[in-house]
Amino acid sequence: MAGGTAGGAIDAARRRQTAVWVAREILPHEHRVRAWLRRAGTAPEDSDELIQEAYCRLAMLEAVDHIDSPYAYFFSIVRNLLVRRLKRQRIVPLETIAEIDAYHDDRPSPEQLAAGRLAYGKALDLIARLPERCRRIVQLRKIEGWSQRQIAEHLGTTEKAVEKQVWLGVRFLRQAWSQAEQDADDLMGEHEQRGGRRR
Amino acid sequence: MTGPVTGSGNRQGAIADEAAAWVARLDADGWSADDEAQLERWMAADPRRRGALLHAQACWVALDPPAPRPRATVRRRGLFMAAGGALAASVVGGFLWLAGGTTYRTEIGEIRRVPLADGSTATINSDTQLEVTLASRRREVRINSGEAWFRVAKDPARPFVVEAGQVVVQAVGTAFSVRRRDGGADIIVTEGVVQVWAAQADGYRTSLIAGQSAFFGDNAAVRISDGPPSAVDRALAWRSGAIDLSGQTVAHAVEDFNRYNRRKLVLADPRLAGEQIDGIFRTDDPEGFAKALHDSFGVPLDTSDAAAIRIGRGKNISDVEGTSPLTSLHQHGKETRP
Repeated sequence: MAGGTAGGAIDAARRRQTAVWVAREILPHEHRVRAWLRRAGTAPEDSDELIQEAYCRLAMLEAVDHIDSPYAYFFSIVRNLLVRRLKRQRIVPLETIAEIDAYHDDRPSPEQLAAGRLAYGKALDLIARLPERCRRIVQLRKIEGWSQRQIAEHLGTTEKAVEKQVWLGVRFLRQAWSQAEQDADDLMGEHEQRGGRRR
Repeated sequence: MTGPVTGSGNRQGAIADEAAAWVARLDADGWSADDEAQLERWMAADPRRRGALLHAQACWVALDPPAPRPRATVRRRGLFMAAGGALAASVVGGFLWLAGGTTYRTEIGEIRRVPLADGSTATINSDTQLEVTLASRRREVRINSGEAWFRVAKDPARPFVVEAGQVVVQAVGTAFSVRRRDGGADIIVTEGVVQVWAAQADGYRTSLIAGQSAFFGDNAAVRISDGPPSAVDRALAWRSGAIDLSGQTVAHAVEDFNRYNRRKLVLADPRLAGEQIDGIFRTDDPEGFAKALHDSFGVPLDTSDAAAIRIGRGKNISDVEGTSPLTSLHQHGKETRP
């Protein structure tokens, strides 16, 4: 696609902007889409693929500012991808496709959407669950705001070693956001309701 | 809850892990243009990688403390967007056809069927301008405005490519329509399969099959609708000079009629806009449609102006106040539904 350094800088800025938007609007609710796919009878590996494909669609967007309700937008991408996949597998009876819409998605309430935007509390909770060395480095990087180089100097190690811990951290977080998410959401609900309801 | 989402053994998991490694490297000090170029190459090799990178990057930036968004950031973003636009324009420049095609233009209300030299036909809707270039390697149509339906003669050696703004549609032997709109294009496939992509995102193509219709945004946003087969026929009824309405809103129908006629329909009563209506009308008969509205909803018509037909209460609202027009309107609206 775009070549040249100027294009590269613009692409990098655009990528980051989209990532910030996804972190704020989509990630806190990804588990809802996964739960919906499960109810619609989708195997976990297939759910992974559909969700990754939906992220691809988002990554292709020039800008995301024009999207009014990001969760609904993301959900409808996943839904359409699922419908198309089912159509391709000819063995699936048409009724199954018709039934898809009968599986209501667990649409977040306005309060949950607002909570999703304030997902930082959840993020801190996830950092706390990282393995020790990794957690230490992620804390210095994200909470103290040190650079990877500063962390390497401080810990008397190489920058590559720090980068590797960051890599482990990102991998861990990716899994944590998509699966342990539900627990975090429940936890948050409990906090809000002062320990009232438990599922 | 469930087991691990990705075992690193499968391909999906491998891509996700590579994406995580890129995010760690992006986060390190001294990201260079060379790194950026390498990343671009990595992403270009597999369309899934772009999505995996976005996902991993989002997981990482989610740990940043939420910053208040100062005005300066917004400004800078505006600048980036402007530069991005210029970039997109320069890329699109590569897609501009060389001159030398045949230009077809239809007037408002005119629907024309044009046989092309390769055996394909183009049925061109009202108020449309398009250029056709039949080259040895490629058959190219550029829709500058309006809509056309193509029945494409099979020729695998020469793909048939239609460009509408930033949206590009490619078929080998198939039948489909493209309507250029502000910010994108509508595509309806009646036979076979077409591929669609945005000019600035050539790497990522979407396939549409017969019976599907979709709106493609210039920004590569896609909205596919899988309606019943009859919906496609209805949307293309213009080919035989008809407007086929089945539960469309009055506002939608009015917009449709106005595409075909110089004498415009004007909805003077906004409450009518969302009502649904069924029926088959001639594209050149807005009067007939207005009369149907009059009959179904009991709304007054003002046909005194040769350039427009006003539907609904005009300037004099004196006689309506007592009869609660809104409820009677809704009742009428329901009666027209089967």
